[in-house]
Parts: sequence; structure tokens; C-alpha cells
Amino acid sequence: MQFLLWLERSALGSWVRESSSLWAYPTILFAHTVGLGFLVGTNTAVDLRMLGFAERLPLAPMERFFSVMWLGFWVNALSGTLLLIADASTKLTNPVFYVKMAFVTLAVVNMVLIRRRVFRDPALDTAPLAGPAKVLAVTSLFFWMGAITAGRLMAYFGPVSGAPGLQNRIP
Amino acid sequence: MLQAFSTWLHGTTLSWAVAGGIPWIWPACETLHFMGLALLVGVVGVLDLRMLGMAKGLPLGPLQRLMPWAILGFGINMVTGFLFFAGDPFQYIHNIAFGFKLLFIGLAGVNVILFYVTGLSRTVDGVGAGHDVPPAAKLVAATSLFLWVGVMYWGRMLPFIGNAF
Repeated sequence: MQFLLWLERSALGSWVRESSSLWAYPTILFAHTVGLGFLVGTNTAVDLRMLGFAERLPLAPMERFFSVMWLGFWVNALSGTLLLIADASTKLTNPVFYVKMAFVTLAVVNMVLIRRRVFRDPALDTAPLAGPAKVLAVTSLFFWMGAITAGRLMAYFGPVSGAPGLQNRIP
Repeated sequence: MLQAFSTWLHGTTLSWAVAGGIPWIWPACETLHFMGLALLVGVVGVLDLRMLGMAKGLPLGPLQRLMPWAILGFGINMVTGFLFFAGDPFQYIHNIAFGFKLLFIGLAGVNVILFYVTGLSRTVDGVGAGHDVPPAAKLVAATSLFLWVGVMYWGRMLPFIGNAF
């Protein structure tokens, strides 16, 4: 706890949380949202194709979108770390945060598995996708939805985070 | 008129329920709003990036068959967005960020309409693997990316530039 308080009271943590500049908390949160959109969104597009929608669309060229997914991931790892430093004592003691991290970890492992097992399969686009590939698409959607849900609910369970006076819960 | 509508809306049972009367509605709508965002930005983003030249191996016709999912995402966000508005109209109607968010959504709509009425969408539909879309379609794609990222920006700024929670 001492360490968490030190972290959030550091110059960086205080700036992110309490600066009135739009470049602090608001812009970091915006980056986290755009990262979410591209990370989860491109994953979802690939998952939907794997589940049989737009079935005339070849899957192989979609591998290029993994670079977009990883860009989204790193934007969110960085912005998420900054948001975490700013509210270390409340977020790192919130059980829902660890649920979110578990879902993100599972989703990212799932994403790597899709690339290795589905996209590196020499039979890709020559035969219909096998059952295990479709299972990976379903678990991917499930893990990302879990991550989004847990992320949002962090604001409603556990200790209140955020700058003094900034409401992040319903009144 | 907006004031009168907001006053009326604020007095409805729906407004009461969304604004905390039934406590789980607001967080549930927020969660769905993010899922709708991912669906919309993901599918539209993939289509826009392809038109801009990424993953050129994708034929545009079959790729456009994913569009109903983007429309579903948009629909989810229209409904949940309206519920937020109903919950507390007064935190939005005088909020400059909300005005810009609606403007950007409107411009994104105009962009899509232009894509269809100019016949560009039919041309693009026939662009196969390895081929470029016409420059006008690239402009539409870049505009679309800019506007949707802008919509996310103004949405995020609702509590910071404006006064919404």
C-alpha cells in the first residue's frame, strides 16, 4: 500500500490525475478508447469471418491486420499503465481490475493462437475452417467482451478512482 | 423546443430508471456502448484500411458483406446513447463536446451517403484482390477513419470539455 500511494503521488501520477490540461487524463483515456476500438474491433472482424460470415472473403490477407491489433494493444498497455499509476491505490486494490487483466491475458493468448494455428495452416482458404478454429473465434469474442465489461465495471466496484471532484459513477 | 423536450424526457419513468432508479441499467448501457464501438470501428476500420491499400489481397465485394455488423454496432450505440441522453438530458444539451460528437456522426453519415449515391460503392464492390480503389474512394475511407476517431474523441471529452459524468 505504501508503494501504491508513493506511485500515485509521484509527479507523473499526480499530473495524469490532477492536471487541468486536456493532455493529461482526458487524452490518455481517449487513447485507451481508440486502442480498444482497433484492438477489439479488428479481432472481432477476423472472428466473424472465421465463424462463417462473409465466407467468400479469403482469410489469409487478413493476417495483415494483426499489426493493427498489436498497435492497439501497445497503445492500451501504455495508456493503461499511465492510468494505473495515477490511481494505483484504488485500481490495484480493486478485484475487478484483476478480472480485467485475466480476460485481457486470455484474449491476447487467444489472438496469438489464432495467428499460429489458423493463419499459419497451409490449408487456410483451401478447405472450410475446422471446428477448433471456430472455437478460437468464439473464445476470442467472449474474452474481449469480458475484458470490456470488467474494464467498465471497475468504475462501479471497489474504491473510487479519479481526480477529486470528477464523477465516474452514476449519482 | 430542445429545452421543453428535455424537460419532458427528464420527467419520464425511462429517465428515472436509466439515471439510477434501476442501478444496473447505466453501467450495462456503458458496457454495451463500448462493445458497439468496437464492432463499428473494427468493421469500418478494416474496410477503410483495405481501401487505403492495407491487406490488398482482400477483394472489396466480399469484405463489404461484413458491413451489417458495423450497422449493428451503430444501432447498439444509437439505442444506448439515447438512453444516456434520456437519463440526464441537461448534461448533454448544453455540452459543446456533445454537439461536436453529433456533428461528427452526422458528417460520417453524409460521407457514407456520398459513397453510395455517387456510385462509388458499386465501383468499389467490383475491386478484386490486389487492385486499388479509385482515389475518390480512398478519400472517403480516410475521411471515415478521421470522423469515427473524432466521434470517439468528442465522446471521451463529454465529462472534460463539457460537464457530463
